[in-house]
Amino acid sequence: MKGDRSKAVTLWTFVAIALVMLSAPTLVVLGASFTAGNMITFPPEGLSLKWYAEIAGATDLRDAFLRSLIVATICTAISIPTGTLAGIALAKYRVRFAAGVQVYLLLPFTVPLIGSGIGLMLIFGKWGLLGQLWPVGVACAVINLPFMIWAVTASAASLDPDLELAAANCGAPPLSTFLAVTVPAVTPGIITGALLMFILALNEFLVSLLLVDARIVTLPVQIYNSIRSIITPDLAAISVVFIAVAAIAIALLDWLVGLDIFLKSK
Amino acid sequence: MTETTAADAPFAVSVRDVNMVFDGVHAVRDATFDLEKGRFLTILGPSGSGKTTLLRMIAGFGRPTSGEVFINGLAVGSVPPHKRSIGMVFQKLALFPHMTAAENVAFPLRMRRFDARTIPDRVQRYLDLVKLGKLGDRRIHELSGGQQQRVAIARALVFEPDLLLLDEPLAALDRKLREEMQLEFRRIQRELDVTTINVTHDQREALVVSDEIIVMDHGRIQQKARPEATYRQPKNAFVANFIGVTNFIDGVVASIDGERIVFDRPGFIGRSGNGFRPTSGVAARGALRAEQIRIGSGREALGDVDTVFGGTVTDAIFEGERVVYEVTVADLGDTTLRVFDHDPVAHNQHDIGSTVALGWNVKDVLVFGD
Repeated sequence: MKGDRSKAVTLWTFVAIALVMLSAPTLVVLGASFTAGNMITFPPEGLSLKWYAEIAGATDLRDAFLRSLIVATICTAISIPTGTLAGIALAKYRVRFAAGVQVYLLLPFTVPLIGSGIGLMLIFGKWGLLGQLWPVGVACAVINLPFMIWAVTASAASLDPDLELAAANCGAPPLSTFLAVTVPAVTPGIITGALLMFILALNEFLVSLLLVDARIVTLPVQIYNSIRSIITPDLAAISVVFIAVAAIAIALLDWLVGLDIFLKSK
Repeated sequence: MTETTAADAPFAVSVRDVNMVFDGVHAVRDATFDLEKGRFLTILGPSGSGKTTLLRMIAGFGRPTSGEVFINGLAVGSVPPHKRSIGMVFQKLALFPHMTAAENVAFPLRMRRFDARTIPDRVQRYLDLVKLGKLGDRRIHELSGGQQQRVAIARALVFEPDLLLLDEPLAALDRKLREEMQLEFRRIQRELDVTTINVTHDQREALVVSDEIIVMDHGRIQQKARPEATYRQPKNAFVANFIGVTNFIDGVVASIDGERIVFDRPGFIGRSGNGFRPTSGVAARGALRAEQIRIGSGREALGDVDTVFGGTVTDAIFEGERVVYEVTVADLGDTTLRVFDHDPVAHNQHDIGSTVALGWNVKDVLVFGD
């Protein structure tokens, strides 16, 4: 009894510390964004929504946010078909050199972002594509694709192989089988991966920094640029909006497929 | 493409010299059999006997390494599964989880381009047939195990296939539900008169549902016969052992007297199983079913039998409707025989360690060479 109790106390202490550490940055930014003062401080000096009004009127922040949304959308649109097909292929078929392919797909992960960022900058620069928004989306898709593939593979691996045979037995030719049975069965993985890709692209900073110029900065880059001049509470407010978008994506995920599938992903 | 072999097609399914080798395993060896239209065939065998491989080749999942499968007289080797008119119930059912029961049943009709206007009526008719009339709107995970079975049957039959294949769909069910579904399969099969091939390792299921049974072991067809013949005239020791509770008494043939084979153990005589014609001095084994042996405390309690041995009870297992005795017989080389005692009045009266008399008839001892 006593041992149980001290064990519970110890465990709960760790949990509490972990929770505080994880949520502290968010809470600080959240608090700072509601300040009535002109400096970014925590705890805030009085409560007000004036910095939210400020960012609503700030066209540079709003435009940067819209550009980030466009980048995230392009990235997601590219990774859904690519990641879905690759994920299903890796999970289901005996792909030749499967191990090699898997390592190759992990490469963007192992190469430091600054490295891949410079590489992409050189390639896009050579092709004369810099200064446009869509290459940033492509770059985000390339860098983060393993997340998409993992999410789909996890779904596809738990797929009963007889399901596709059953479809064939019902008279479905291979393409119909794929569209009517395989894709719906891995849809939870596709949704998970797509939302993950969207959030990652929305937040992507380093690679964006290297690929954008002053006319097309994305939101994280815009915030970074602002920090270098004066740190005002409007940055806290835009960060909160950012966090809210991510939270909505997570809520959407939970509502659509349930978070347990995401947490079980291998 | 397909080619015609016979002018008219007397058999729903013909399998000719089919072999299947994958990953170095010879899963099916020289399988040959015919199945008439409208019959219910069960392929029975232990796991790894090749029965499922054979079934899946008929469905078109995997091409024979050699040999040919004919459906309605047509060689189907190059016909992909989706172009075969075969309904299949899978072991794990393989129902489409994102569809309702009715959508599952409608799927083959949509894929096989049935007139869209007739689909709802037909789906309902088959849901009624499997007694799921009102549950069409349910999602698969909202149905019980037995109900899911019924959806799978309806999906396999709704397009009126030439052939129905059952890949051990009942294996995962509890005993009561399994026995209920066995009778259900039988009822539906008779009602629709659809040629059916069922795969199972459950000997009782094979005996209950089938018109014919194929027993397989190590990739080979051991016997194809009607259920009663499979049970009463097993072709070899494997079949005798796999179906029913069978005792084997090993010995050496001393002499042969017509059908009667006399062993070197005094008093132990059997008759030839499957035309086995040994010469004296050859090793052989007598197969004797547990229910053919009578047990009593003395010779006079056994009634009309022509063979009697004395033994010692080594175990007595009470199974409710019967007692299973294990009796060690010294005169048969300390062979332990399993004996069923169904006597409703006096059963379960022999204690472990007590001496009993066992009796049977020579005609019930089948002698095999293997």
